[in-house]
Amino acid sequence: MSMTARGTGSTLRAALDAAKDELRAETARGTAGRAALDRHAGRVDDLLRQLYEEAGQPQAAAAIVALGGYGRRHLSLHSDIDLLVLFGSRIGPSEERFLRAFMHPLWDLGVVVGHQVREIDEFSDLETDNPEFLLALLDARLVAGDQALFDRQQAVFHQPATHACIVQSLEALIDERHAKFNSTLYQLEPDVKEAPGALRDLMATRTITALTDPLLLRRGPADPGRFEEAEDFLLRVRSILHLETGRNQNVLSHELQEKTADILGYPGNEPRQRVERLMSDYFRHARIVSRSLEWTRRTAPTPVGPNLGRSRDGVRFLDPVLAARNPASWVGAFQAAVDLGTGVTEEALSCIQQHVDRYRAEDFVPEARDRAALMKFLKPRSGLYTALSQMHDCGMLGRVFPEFQAISWRVVRDFYHKYTVDEHTLLTIRNLERLSTTDAPERQRFKNVATSLPAPELLVLSLLLHDVGKWRDDDHHLESVRMAEDVLNRLQLSPESCEMVQFLIRNHLRMSLVAFRRDTEDPDIVREFASLLGTEDKLKMLCLMTLADVEAVSPETLTPWKEELVWRLYVDTYNHLTQRYGDELIERSQAGLQELLSGRPADMPEAEIARFLEGLPQRYLHLFPKEAIYRHVRLARDINSDQVHLSLECADAVWTLAVVTLDKPFLFSNICGVLSSFGMNILRGHAMTNPNGLVLDVFHFTDEERFLELNPDAHRQVLHVLQDVVAGRADVRQLVRGREQSVLQPKTAPRVAPVVHADNETSGRYTIVDIVAGNALGLLYRISRVISQHGCDVDLVLISTEGERAIDVFHITKGGAKLTDAEHRGLTSDLQRTLEGTT
Amino acid sequence: MKLIKSIVRPNKVDDVKDALAKLNISGMTVTEVRGHGKQKGHTAIYRGKEYNVSLLPKMEIEIVVPDSIAEEAIKAIVQAARTGEIGDGRVFVFPVLESYRIRTGERES
Repeated sequence: MSMTARGTGSTLRAALDAAKDELRAETARGTAGRAALDRHAGRVDDLLRQLYEEAGQPQAAAAIVALGGYGRRHLSLHSDIDLLVLFGSRIGPSEERFLRAFMHPLWDLGVVVGHQVREIDEFSDLETDNPEFLLALLDARLVAGDQALFDRQQAVFHQPATHACIVQSLEALIDERHAKFNSTLYQLEPDVKEAPGALRDLMATRTITALTDPLLLRRGPADPGRFEEAEDFLLRVRSILHLETGRNQNVLSHELQEKTADILGYPGNEPRQRVERLMSDYFRHARIVSRSLEWTRRTAPTPVGPNLGRSRDGVRFLDPVLAARNPASWVGAFQAAVDLGTGVTEEALSCIQQHVDRYRAEDFVPEARDRAALMKFLKPRSGLYTALSQMHDCGMLGRVFPEFQAISWRVVRDFYHKYTVDEHTLLTIRNLERLSTTDAPERQRFKNVATSLPAPELLVLSLLLHDVGKWRDDDHHLESVRMAEDVLNRLQLSPESCEMVQFLIRNHLRMSLVAFRRDTEDPDIVREFASLLGTEDKLKMLCLMTLADVEAVSPETLTPWKEELVWRLYVDTYNHLTQRYGDELIERSQAGLQELLSGRPADMPEAEIARFLEGLPQRYLHLFPKEAIYRHVRLARDINSDQVHLSLECADAVWTLAVVTLDKPFLFSNICGVLSSFGMNILRGHAMTNPNGLVLDVFHFTDEERFLELNPDAHRQVLHVLQDVVAGRADVRQLVRGREQSVLQPKTAPRVAPVVHADNETSGRYTIVDIVAGNALGLLYRISRVISQHGCDVDLVLISTEGERAIDVFHITKGGAKLTDAEHRGLTSDLQRTLEGTT
Repeated sequence: MKLIKSIVRPNKVDDVKDALAKLNISGMTVTEVRGHGKQKGHTAIYRGKEYNVSLLPKMEIEIVVPDSIAEEAIKAIVQAARTGEIGDGRVFVFPVLESYRIRTGERES
């Protein structure tokens, strides 16, 4: 130790001794309660700040944080000093040096330190196995060091989930502790820290209220003033116990009771009388604490979100004043109510009603996360209708969507609608919600469609807005589309989502018109309807929208007969979209083509796009937005026979791989194999071939093992392996086999019985193989491999996944022609065997 | 009087109604029904699985007309509901013995 350090050491010791002497003196006067302990904590703070200054700056940002009792400034004479030493980045030699320089002098001073050392990143995982530490962190207080670092730690730590976890652990700790005292506060020799009604119970009461409802104590069985008196009393007694025993001892034993009664100045001639008065005071205070804790545990709402708690009557704002200032948080209350299968409390609804008129539509969705939260809320599930109705009744729905306000209580006399336009609209959402959760056997077919939608919230948004144009008396669907545009701009949805919503609103009467009033036996009617839709997603959405809308007109409107008509049109159109599209190639006059050409980037001649599109099915233009098509055109540039051009990108946790190459045997199965060998789960995909042999395969997949995210080089590695496999430099079979034999692979058989159906009639050019099977790693690889082994070319593929079900439609040819009957029978039975695992 | 009961394609109901209106026949009963005649339905395939659509949705239209215009009405229905393809439907004609108006109890001639 250097001379300076030794010099400092003696100054520190003197400062600590002085602080302790002062506390001893207060204790001896019987006044070492809250204020005295607070002053003592302040003295220790000063000491730690000095040590921090002298320890020298580490490289990482650092903060010294007081925890537990010290954090609360309840520092008794022999209490441990609980500290968190927090670093802003990885702990290296410089930080270790700092730690030694900071901690050693403390130990030299004989201070009992309970210290934890953490890097800030460690707070991203909740230490659920260490509830005492989590509780101590609630009292965290910055003593010295980096304020910004401390603020970051606080922001990461104070999450609703963390609070809920802490309250739960605390409840268990209380029960465990009480059991040790036979759950009674009337102990003859009570422990003033641990016993029921003592200091820990007092702190537990404060903690539960702070984390659930800060205003709870005001409504409690005891006046908050008496609660604080109890705290001061218990602390004064505890200080005396520490002084008298010279250690961290908290049991108020018989001998110490006399001493304590004397110090606290209880009157009485006999020691017995003074002790009785002390103990009756103790029990009086302990009873207040105990009753408050019991009441708090009984009535505290469970934290269910930021400023949200669940009480017996539903979800409410813990702090209504705070909620009133933050309208973007209100959706969270309704979301929590739906999640928990309850409602929003009357109290919270009147809070919203009282303040809602102050806010504009934008105020509810100021940030991207608020917009995402609103869309998430709109996902159809049980309780959504009830929540939306509550929202409407308190005036919020019409503020979030002023467009909707225009049809509030709107009456349109048309002899078939039975409800006001707003209620009709909300009922459509209830119908969709019921359809998505129904157990009725006859509706399972529609339920399956509903549960297969990739973004059902867009359907709910479309339903919410489909009739807003009815504030006017003429063509309401066009007015609804116009009004929806403002909503879509506010919510800043992706161009594809906006297009979907506008499409659905514009055409919301179309499917019932075709199903009920046109001859759907006529293939031309179905073809026309299919070309309006373009993709299965739109068909599914419109089908459900039609059912929900018709059913909301009156209880009698949607008959089983009408349902059957809708279902038949759905099936015929679905088959048309998935099986006939190979015969409908892009033509010069095709809708959307002109827009694609005129919006093209400067470096892309019109002829290049035209050449690329030549021979691709019309469906291609429906499937991809302009930007994606330009990307594909670029990938196809200057490609020659041994090359593979690839692009890989990620949006919203879904990866998209686009592959352009010239046709090769086993190409499709090779790509599927490589993706499977990296553990990727293929969700959707399209494979297309044009007559010049150009192949475009687009796969959407999720990377559940987060291989691409966690490994900086993974992106390059996947592309590299793909190129090797496609060029024949690597054997995909080996790659897949390794993965299939992995111990991490689930060994349970999929619950979906495989269906393979080949059709030689529907398409003029292709044999179509429909496959429905349980989704499993390498499924597409195995299927397409069998097809290639039969010498068939995979010309077009549609891949989709609905939960555990994979639905794949292959358009194949052999030697440029459809398969013969014998060939497709052979292929079908081989595929069936492969899927059943019998080969 | 004749009771004319026709089973037609759902999309033809409006055409039939319009054709009958031209003959000043406006009272009718329309019912959503399901059934099959010679057409016997067919099998459809959805996602590789066959499912039977043996009972097809049809509309049943019932009218009661004086004998004098029965033939004209039948002709109008047939012309309006016809597409020429299998599944266009049927028309049945029954004699009506008596008819009463429920509100007044009167017997109609």
